[in-house]
Amino acid sequence: MKASLGRRVATYSLAALIVISTTLPLAWMLISGFKGRNEVLRTPFQFFPDVWMWQNYAAILQDPAFLQSMALTFAGALLFTLLSLVVNSIAAYAFARLDFRGKRFWWVYCITPMFIPGMAILLTSYVVVSNLGMLNTLAVLIIPGAASAVQMFFIRQFYLNTPLAIEEAALIDGAGRWRIFWSIFLPQSQGVFVVVGVGSFLAYWNAYVWPILTIQDPGLQQIMQYIAGFRSERGNEWGLLMAGSTLAALPTILLVLIFQRYIVNGVRLAGMK
Amino acid sequence: MTMSPQSTNRLATAASVALEPETTAPARKRRRGVGRLSTHVMDNRTAYVMIAPMVVLLGIFVWWPLLYSFYLSTFEISFYEEPVFVGLQFYGYVLEDPDFWHSIGIGATYVLYTVPAIMIIAFLVASFIRTVGRKVAGLLKTTVYVPTVVSAVITSVVFVFMYRADGGLINWLIGFVGLGPFAFLSDPELALPAISVPGIWLAFGITTLIMLAGMYDIPQSYYEAAQLEGANFFQRTWFITIPLMKNVLLYLLVTATIAGMQQFELPLIMTQGGPTNSTMTPNLFIFNQFKDPTPYATSFSLTAALILFFVLGGISMLIFRLIRSDKAIDA
Amino acid sequence: MHKRISRLATAGIAAAAVGVMLAGCTPASSNTTEDGKSKVVFWQQKFEDYQQDWFKAQVAEFNKSQDEVEVELLVVPADTWDQKLKAAQAAGKAPDVKTTSYGNVKPMQASGQIADLSELMDADAFDDIAENIAPFVTVDDEVYAYPLLVEPSTVLFYRTDLLAAAGIDAPPTTWDELVDDARTLTTGDVYGMNIGQTAPDLGWSSWGLQYNVAGDFPLRGDWSEASADDPAYEDLAKFYQTLYAEKLMPQEATYPYADCSFFGEGKVAMSACGSWALGQLSANPDWAGVWENTAVAAFPSSDGDPTAPTSTLGGWTLTVDAKSKVQDESAEFVQWLLADDTDRLVDFFTATGFSKYPARVSVTEALAATPEAADNPFLATITEDIVPYAKAEPSYPWDVSLAFATSLEKAMRGGDIPAAMSEAQAAIEDVIKKQKLAGTGSD
Repeated sequence: MKASLGRRVATYSLAALIVISTTLPLAWMLISGFKGRNEVLRTPFQFFPDVWMWQNYAAILQDPAFLQSMALTFAGALLFTLLSLVVNSIAAYAFARLDFRGKRFWWVYCITPMFIPGMAILLTSYVVVSNLGMLNTLAVLIIPGAASAVQMFFIRQFYLNTPLAIEEAALIDGAGRWRIFWSIFLPQSQGVFVVVGVGSFLAYWNAYVWPILTIQDPGLQQIMQYIAGFRSERGNEWGLLMAGSTLAALPTILLVLIFQRYIVNGVRLAGMK
Repeated sequence: MTMSPQSTNRLATAASVALEPETTAPARKRRRGVGRLSTHVMDNRTAYVMIAPMVVLLGIFVWWPLLYSFYLSTFEISFYEEPVFVGLQFYGYVLEDPDFWHSIGIGATYVLYTVPAIMIIAFLVASFIRTVGRKVAGLLKTTVYVPTVVSAVITSVVFVFMYRADGGLINWLIGFVGLGPFAFLSDPELALPAISVPGIWLAFGITTLIMLAGMYDIPQSYYEAAQLEGANFFQRTWFITIPLMKNVLLYLLVTATIAGMQQFELPLIMTQGGPTNSTMTPNLFIFNQFKDPTPYATSFSLTAALILFFVLGGISMLIFRLIRSDKAIDA
Repeated sequence: MHKRISRLATAGIAAAAVGVMLAGCTPASSNTTEDGKSKVVFWQQKFEDYQQDWFKAQVAEFNKSQDEVEVELLVVPADTWDQKLKAAQAAGKAPDVKTTSYGNVKPMQASGQIADLSELMDADAFDDIAENIAPFVTVDDEVYAYPLLVEPSTVLFYRTDLLAAAGIDAPPTTWDELVDDARTLTTGDVYGMNIGQTAPDLGWSSWGLQYNVAGDFPLRGDWSEASADDPAYEDLAKFYQTLYAEKLMPQEATYPYADCSFFGEGKVAMSACGSWALGQLSANPDWAGVWENTAVAAFPSSDGDPTAPTSTLGGWTLTVDAKSKVQDESAEFVQWLLADDTDRLVDFFTATGFSKYPARVSVTEALAATPEAADNPFLATITEDIVPYAKAEPSYPWDVSLAFATSLEKAMRGGDIPAAMSEAQAAIEDVIKKQKLAGTGSD
């Protein structure tokens, strides 16, 4: 079916409009990072700078506090992602494929936290992590959020739809559940793991309130703390701030671009019939 | 995840549940005969070991804090003197506090500004993506997903910059149609709509992808048949797409509403709830109650958070019921 | 039936297991360092950079000066200070020593949060506190905070060049004059005036003006009755409303009140700022052109009476936590830092660019003797025209101030003034009732 020229022009213009309006704030952030102090808020307004300056980006990249918080947040996010994948996938497997006593009870127990707003337990979670001696350690950012009802649910949906025949054959051959999980389920979990893994990574990377409450040590500062702190202290240095924000958002955007194939298809994964 | 009340996570919930809205999975498994093994073996021990890490973590970091919150809410808490048991007194205080209800109203208004916009934009974009070629569709899918991964902190900072009355991008853009400049974030009339824009921007992409997934599940033959009968785009949308995607749409509506009611980081960073409390969303109101070094403020804030939890829980329950009964009718 | 019981039992066991785990894992908070010194945790609210530098250097010196006590300094950002402190208190991990504003000393004392320093420090340390400041930190002859500095929260900054160009030969002395001057000074690029405009800022930055116009705060006496309906406050609301509605001041709260950047950037001809802005303005090389033409005066009084307060005397103290297990060591540090050597503090106040003022008589004298002080053109205005007439910050809960300021902001942005004030009245009455304030006020 060949579309008419007019139709194709219309399609491409509409697509272009969607792309431009979606990326405008990010483009603006990127471009403003290239503007000097005298240009970043100049009147009359000018979209592109007269002089493209690298200094803002260079200054941010030379700030040890920025580099340290990027590195720490990256490491923390990786550990967090790994831990949540382990915890949530084995629970998902048990709920999807095993029968056990009290399954309904534990199911409700594990899934209800999805509906408990963070604010309702902010203070008391803080008391708990403090009693556990976790304040001011990366553990306080990694462990408390690792068990996630949402992710467990997501992975379970995927496992529910895995055909049964292979598993039964393996059981008859005398393979244990752990073996089956390891050698049959894990290898085919790549797609779903990427989707929930990216979710975990983002949740960690973008977290703000929990880190500001539990991390006081400037040496452990997370990237969003850095950006928010920068804004409240040097709020009028917009060029620098935009450069910093661009760099802080970059890893998450790269992540999407790298895994785009999985993600855009991934939202379908759980529903695959 | 429970620690970061962010729309992204809420919408990830939507992703999983919308695609499989039926939460009573065991029944379905049995019907299909895929879940229960013929051996009828109960794997108690293995299963307990497998769910143990999750059960323990949720127990320590969600259930215990929740119970503890309820317990504490019956006291006028002091961390220095003996807490005074006051029963449900603070529940009364919160419920009769006009500022609490004002913040609920702000949350509801924010939902009104954002949710329909998110749903409509996402639906239109998804419908459009469905009609374009593979390459363009791929580009669009990736592009609309990008805002979802940008944090609320960065989004707030960028939009504050874009909203500036002097030299801000948005005032420049609306200047072309002869409007402005407006001090968006300092005007009580404009501040909440202004905060809604980044709210929509952050959420519409993932919503689009989920809707798209739902649309792909609708057999192409339905549309072909409709087209043969001369149905235009609006008729096809109204009579085929929307009815067949009812569950997905309803679910997205609920999660977006719940997420919107809990919006917190955007006003926290963009306006601190002002001007004149016009962006004081419920969670921000609760968070700000910590300001005072008085026992009263602590108890009030804790109790308000619990009441909000009930309000939101009520909303989600209601709509879940709705979806499920709807499903039953469909079947 | 059987099934249900076993389910309940499982739940019970799970809950118990979690409980045991939590109890078992609770470590006793450690008050000693690895090498056996007592550890004192000190939270400093983040201020201007030079303050962090000073505190850091002093803590290092204190730690080196003896081998009994190790002070651990943590700098906590101001915007999340309250929430962090509250969470830490809830967990029993409150800092042993912390920076505390004057306004918070009495509320904290009332709820038992801070230790009585008069039992922990040498008596003569308190004799040196200036007479007008001692009441800020004293409850029933017991001292609960050791003051570091005072700073008037409302000072009029103005641009001599712009005033001269507009034919105004002296800064305004009444509110009417101020509004008139602002009208004259407002041009295409420059607003005549800048003043706080958001409720959280107005909450404290308008205290002095509230006192000025009505002779007292909206919650008075022993705190049994709200007085926000005092008609005098309508003049205050009108004052803000005029400045805002006639666009004599910036229409966008780009900077919070504590940040004097509007003035520094040359966007306004006059500005209300705290005295600390002197430090901010002088330190920014981009603003050298503005700084050359900067002058300060007492903020005008509503009727022109120069002795009526228009500013509160804000500032910072150090307090010791009531639950601290190392109170003696904490007090020792506070005494070493704030109550001993005057040179240490003279360094501090010199570093502030004379934008903050000592709370101790001997430090004030030592500072006045330095050549830098003699050269400073602003010191005399602030110490002679402003500080002596400034009021103490009110010690009632912040809710009261915020309720009043919210109404003030509504009025400012065009709301009906009497309606806004009666809203404040109702809100304050509600606070009095629920927080049981009646009879607990001290002034």
